[in-house]
Amino acid sequence: MNRAGFGGTPADIETLRKMGLYRAVSWFVDYDKIPDPTPAPDWAHPDPDIIARREAIRNAADPETRRMLQQQQNQEQTSQIADLRYWWIRRMALGSRPFQEKMTLFWHGHFATSFEKVQMPYFLWLQNETFRQNAIGNFNQLLVAASEDPAMLIYLDGANSHKDAPNENFAREVMELFTLGEGNYTEQDIQQAAKAYTGWGLSKDRLRYEYHPGNHDEGPKTVFGQTGNYTGEDVLNMICQKPECAPFITKKIWRFFAQDQPPPPIVDALSHEFLAHNFDLKHLMRAIFQSKEFYAPDVIRSQIKSPVQWLIACTHQLQAPLPTEPMSLVMLRQLGQDLFQPPNVKGWDGGIAWVTTNNLLDRDNFAAALVEGNRVPLPGLLGQMRGLLNSMAEDGLMQIAPVDVTALFTAGDLSSPYSFLEALQARFLNAELKPQRLASFTEFLKARSPIEETDIRKSIRLIMCTPEYQLT
Amino acid sequence: MNNPLFTTRRDFLRTTLLGGALTWTVPSFVAQTFSALHAEADGALTQVATGKDSPILVLIQLAGGNDGLNAVVPYTNDFYYNARPTISIPANQILPLNDSLGLNPAMTGFKSLFDAGHLSIVNGVGYPNPNRSHFRSTEIWQTASDEDKYLTDGWLGRYFDNACQGCDPTIAVNIGPRLPQAFASHSPTGISLENPDSYRFIGSGKNDDETVAYRSMYTPNPDENVFETGGNSGGSVSMVSGTVTLQNGQSALDFLERTSMDAKVSSDKIREIAGKTPDNSKYPASGLAKNLQLVARLIGGGLPTRIFYVSQGGYDTHTGQRGGQDARLRELGDALKAFTDDLTAMNHFDRVMIMTFSEFGRRVHENGSQGTDHGAAAPMFLIGANMKQGLLGAEPSLDPTDLKDGDIQYNTDFRSVYASILQQWLKTNPLPILGEPFPTLPIVT
Repeated sequence: MNRAGFGGTPADIETLRKMGLYRAVSWFVDYDKIPDPTPAPDWAHPDPDIIARREAIRNAADPETRRMLQQQQNQEQTSQIADLRYWWIRRMALGSRPFQEKMTLFWHGHFATSFEKVQMPYFLWLQNETFRQNAIGNFNQLLVAASEDPAMLIYLDGANSHKDAPNENFAREVMELFTLGEGNYTEQDIQQAAKAYTGWGLSKDRLRYEYHPGNHDEGPKTVFGQTGNYTGEDVLNMICQKPECAPFITKKIWRFFAQDQPPPPIVDALSHEFLAHNFDLKHLMRAIFQSKEFYAPDVIRSQIKSPVQWLIACTHQLQAPLPTEPMSLVMLRQLGQDLFQPPNVKGWDGGIAWVTTNNLLDRDNFAAALVEGNRVPLPGLLGQMRGLLNSMAEDGLMQIAPVDVTALFTAGDLSSPYSFLEALQARFLNAELKPQRLASFTEFLKARSPIEETDIRKSIRLIMCTPEYQLT
Repeated sequence: MNNPLFTTRRDFLRTTLLGGALTWTVPSFVAQTFSALHAEADGALTQVATGKDSPILVLIQLAGGNDGLNAVVPYTNDFYYNARPTISIPANQILPLNDSLGLNPAMTGFKSLFDAGHLSIVNGVGYPNPNRSHFRSTEIWQTASDEDKYLTDGWLGRYFDNACQGCDPTIAVNIGPRLPQAFASHSPTGISLENPDSYRFIGSGKNDDETVAYRSMYTPNPDENVFETGGNSGGSVSMVSGTVTLQNGQSALDFLERTSMDAKVSSDKIREIAGKTPDNSKYPASGLAKNLQLVARLIGGGLPTRIFYVSQGGYDTHTGQRGGQDARLRELGDALKAFTDDLTAMNHFDRVMIMTFSEFGRRVHENGSQGTDHGAAAPMFLIGANMKQGLLGAEPSLDPTDLKDGDIQYNTDFRSVYASILQQWLKTNPLPILGEPFPTLPIVT
């Protein structure tokens, strides 16, 4: 539940447990049987007026007007990207197909592109849909689809590449980061492949992909020692046939879903399965979730939660609604996972890179805000965004209601510090605290009988500040 | 030193505590206690390098691959102008440094530092068989490795291990969201900080029992025997492409405990120090300038930090380079000018050196999108009050017959610059840190 999706309440987990492994895995993986009625954001369509508006900016009578029009456009894009981010977070947290969204998140980090360069939120939504539709389809098809997607063509400069002077940006990253890994190709492969990708571009209105035969280098290219008049798709297919491709993808998927340091025998076995089934991602994911290695003691709860995982799992455990849009987005930015804006083309590094002294303290303080609501003062918590936040606070957008903590525990749970601590660990950790921290909690609770609401609240916040809580 | 008991204890400590994987999980100040004993026993090798008057190094990473040729421009060189018909900088716009090199017109901040004698430029810095991947080349710069060697620790991490093991975690401060690989070390050192106001645990009410409980969760239990480590073989932090990741034998939980502890230990001090120096000096509005301003406040307040790390992105200029790179360089130069002015006003400039670096320079020839693709050697900037002002290292040739795969060939290995800084500025022997000798340059007067 935590690893294939985004966590759940103890009741959700119990429901899944009763299904047994086979049916539970099927519930996640065969998600096409579950309807997902989530509508697209209402602005998510090609904007036919965009040309006219760009012209208006370019032809503005004076710099002042131009600046104003440009600012309008920027504001609209900023509000759309915020909308898109929250739309996706809601879908991850509340949608009917958590595994499809988890996989979409994986592909977003794998085929990383950023709002900073792509700018058009429509393209980022379009790419997000490409990932969602192909989330567990065929990897070779996904690779082609992701490569010809407008967001990628802009982010890695494919749309600006021309046969007279091919741009190597995409040609390098597709082999280094998306398929083979550094060291499994030569500089010549990059330069030759860059020629093959020429011709891919955007339509004149820059709203969709378009192939421009006049830009394509028709000449022979030598890639991986083979020569031919290859197209971009030809080269992508050749890349998939390289022996390094299947293990590279398998290892990255295992690292995302299971364990930071994937053991070579597991990667070997799974990538053979993956190859034998012609890059069928659904088959691979089912094999992973049904493997006994996925449930080995040193694999379970060995990963540090990503900020998205942390936020959504918190709300499930607290049985609380998602915080408002600005509040959710500010937390994720501060914790280092701005959706649609990864740090670079490599995506988020994940693992222990999620955690620094600074963002551990942030996690601890955000935990207070989630549990206590706005009763907790958050002085200066949000740094440079303080001005923005204050204005939002005036509009009531920064409100978080305190969690109804009494609804999370039965009278039996609250009958003694001991039973309370058991229930607390079961809900928030699904595991035990280390002895020293257990002792701290025992000390904290020993004089508190009966256990009052405020004790529960503080205990929840404290358990969310433990190192154990950061694991999933 | 003749005391056999002491010798035994020293050896015991070296093999079990400071030398082994245990340092990973032992809280900094526990390690420090033992480190002091260790230092006493071992003299200069492990001299604890803290103190309010010690020299400070500020690193600025220019992420993405800063194009050297459009930063320090060979403005009389026809090869330069032929290779870049649309993005070269006309000679009459250059800020000249001598009769062949000049700065990009956006670098007025750098020019004033140069004119004041505070800027050294090392020409043509690189390494043999340059790698053009952002991630691999960043890793090479961060670990100071050969192109074909994969090292686990960062070059500054090895400095910490050698010169200040067991120090306070604030010995190294990264301003930003991700700890740089350069800090990764056998006994992890350094904190990440973005905003000092929120760098603390905030209790929820008047009654502070919550904070008391929070603190007790991380206070080392005196009954716990820190010497019993079981079969954990000497591990260290392993890195993949510029990132710290766990190696076999270490768990994410160990890492989290250690980081929580360092956060707790450093947070009180950071707030106290930031509070002493209000942010009232004049800095530009950029994020980089704000980060350097925070560094200045921490220096002014007396944090015992030796290494600060700041980064600036946006140098991967495959398209429309002039707009993008010029803006970044202006932001950088203006921020550095404000930073050095601030340090001067606080009487701290003479103990600060600033070094910029980038994973690579860019191709000599522009591409078809008014940009440049990944290249090799490029200049580095060194700034300080006591710098040898001027141009160091041989200027690389742009003659097409001298290029390799279209790239400038390096004249100065980047590890020569590191070695010079370690020796002349941080006053430590570079050999154990870099693993092999590199010729040094005269950088400090």
